Amino acid sequence: MKNPSNPTQAQRPELPQVNPRETLKTLAVIAVLVLAFMNFSSVIDLLVNILILIYQFVGHNFGIAIILLTALIRLATWPLNAQQMKGAKAMQDLQTDKEWMAIQKKYAKDREKLAQEQMRIYRERGINVFGSCLPMLIQFPILFALIPAITYAIGSYPLSILKLSKSLAAFGLQDVAALIPLNSKFLGIDMGLPERTLIFGVSVPILALIVGLTTFIQTKLTMPPANPGDQSAATGKMMGYYMPIMLFMFSINYASGLSVYFVISNVLSIVQYAMMGKVNWRNLLPGGKKT
Amino acid sequence: MQKKKSIILFVLLFALVLSGCTGAVAWPGLSTSGDVAYLAHTSTVYAVDLKTHNLLWSFSGEKAGFTLFNTNPDMFIVPPVTMTDGLVVIANANNRHMLYAVDPKNFSAIDKAPTPAVRWKFNQAKGLWIAPPLEIDGLLFAPNSDGKIYVLDLNDGMPEKQAVRTIEVSQPGKNESRLWAQPITDGERLFITSLDKAVAAVDLSTYEVLWRVDLNGAVPGGVALGGDGALYAGSLAKKLERFDPLTGAHQTALETKGWIWGTPVADGDNLYFADVDGYVYSYNTAEQRLNWEPVRPDASITASPLVVGDQILIATESGGIYSISADGKVSLWFQGKEKSKAYTTPVFAEGLTLVAYLDSDYYLVALDQNGKAVWTFSGK
Repeated sequence: MKNPSNPTQAQRPELPQVNPRETLKTLAVIAVLVLAFMNFSSVIDLLVNILILIYQFVGHNFGIAIILLTALIRLATWPLNAQQMKGAKAMQDLQTDKEWMAIQKKYAKDREKLAQEQMRIYRERGINVFGSCLPMLIQFPILFALIPAITYAIGSYPLSILKLSKSLAAFGLQDVAALIPLNSKFLGIDMGLPERTLIFGVSVPILALIVGLTTFIQTKLTMPPANPGDQSAATGKMMGYYMPIMLFMFSINYASGLSVYFVISNVLSIVQYAMMGKVNWRNLLPGGKKT
Repeated sequence: MQKKKSIILFVLLFALVLSGCTGAVAWPGLSTSGDVAYLAHTSTVYAVDLKTHNLLWSFSGEKAGFTLFNTNPDMFIVPPVTMTDGLVVIANANNRHMLYAVDPKNFSAIDKAPTPAVRWKFNQAKGLWIAPPLEIDGLLFAPNSDGKIYVLDLNDGMPEKQAVRTIEVSQPGKNESRLWAQPITDGERLFITSLDKAVAAVDLSTYEVLWRVDLNGAVPGGVALGGDGALYAGSLAKKLERFDPLTGAHQTALETKGWIWGTPVADGDNLYFADVDGYVYSYNTAEQRLNWEPVRPDASITASPLVVGDQILIATESGGIYSISADGKVSLWFQGKEKSKAYTTPVFAEGLTLVAYLDSDYYLVALDQNGKAVWTFSGK
């Protein structure tokens, strides 16, 4: 394609070639995200209907329904998660690659050239730059929709029940009047309210603590071994502390049904990583990051 | 360092997005006593002088001091109830389940915002407070979402109330029973509805459940005593049900187009009510027939109708207040701001019709006899 006889073309820096398949995939993910956020209420309605269908199927047990819905979501997003893990691993491996390290050093002062070289290596190795974050992004609408879906479905307050009725009516699958009120109790906990357990007179949010703990364990276990000077590993380490705190704080204030979702989601994530042989048990041990 | 900052920003943004996902879960509670309007809106109860339309005081719950992990925000949505001793009972609908009685005449300025003094409180309930309580002969009957009515002695002088009686309205073993509507009384019995698809009567001398009728749909609104002496309640099974107050013998009076949410309103032989599909009904209890074909102003209705003179006013989800004449002619009386919602039953006091709004610039609007806004209140 390049014509050395054409001086203008010869002087122009080489544009990185784009893999059409990867571009299509990226565009498809973006389109799904845009569509999902444009029709966010439809995503909520869909999740509410699935949740209530499961609730009916399991004998009106809301806790079990949330657990099964979480498992269903995990199952549906299994290929995406697998792709995310694969993408993350490829990016991780690249950090120790000789050629990669060489271009970092060689073009340290020429960002444009460095970017071109990086793109070349991505292309040659078949790595999608967005391979690790796109699968995660596509799950965001589900997570965002799940929060109102669980809140409406439990129906602890008048407006939640009205919203639930509208969500169910949108699909027309279920006899709403016969279902309401839903049994929101699970293991003695009202799934519609933030959970507190009195321990020696102190009200302790056990479920929220379990959310924080499982998030911490999940992040630790699924964190790849760090290489010296690896920026992405440092970022991952920080997320390993921020995420558990954030989800703990969130779980304190919101319906405990959401805490059940987070706990089960964390456990299933660990299971998936373990099944793919990607769990790094050493990360749980003090000083266990040295590999 | 830059990367660290962006991660923190991302986490904060994520938390913000998550927090904002659910939106409002309940509509405001509105009541009046004399020339004061009480509005329970989101996290605060406001007392507004109807003559000057000034804020007299506001109440956002008691500062609980240091309570570990107890960050669940206060939620005031239950219409405050004024009792014969002048105290105002305020229910907090968050998971601390607190019932307060405040002295509306005795308020002090804390942090520049006048706050009434708390005279007593009660926190033994296990469920959310959604229903307003009812005072009968020095006793307060407070229905809770845990399926029980807590009976409090208003004259025991205790600052921390203990229930003198607990009436179990729900069926044993049923844990989804929720009492969401204010009970009514005929002097001897207390009539209450339940979200677990039931209407029940309690003997006020023995506190025993006299009868309990199970229906096909939940009953979020209360019961009304019709001009014919029968009790009426609407259900989510799209039915208006009639009950014998003595025996509980019941029959379906009318099938409706949508769920009946609000409490029916009796006016002589007529019973007015609305459904969630947006239809308004006028039912003649003496002749057991509709006075006119149901009319549909414009949108879903959860509020009860308000009878003012010879017109019926109804608030709709679209923020409209409609006037319906005695012969069923509908006209728009007042329209709230764009996207505002009116789920709460309007209240008439001091010649003004008060309407509480959700998702609006103002929380409360006072309308004159022609439906013209006289003043608005936005929480300040």
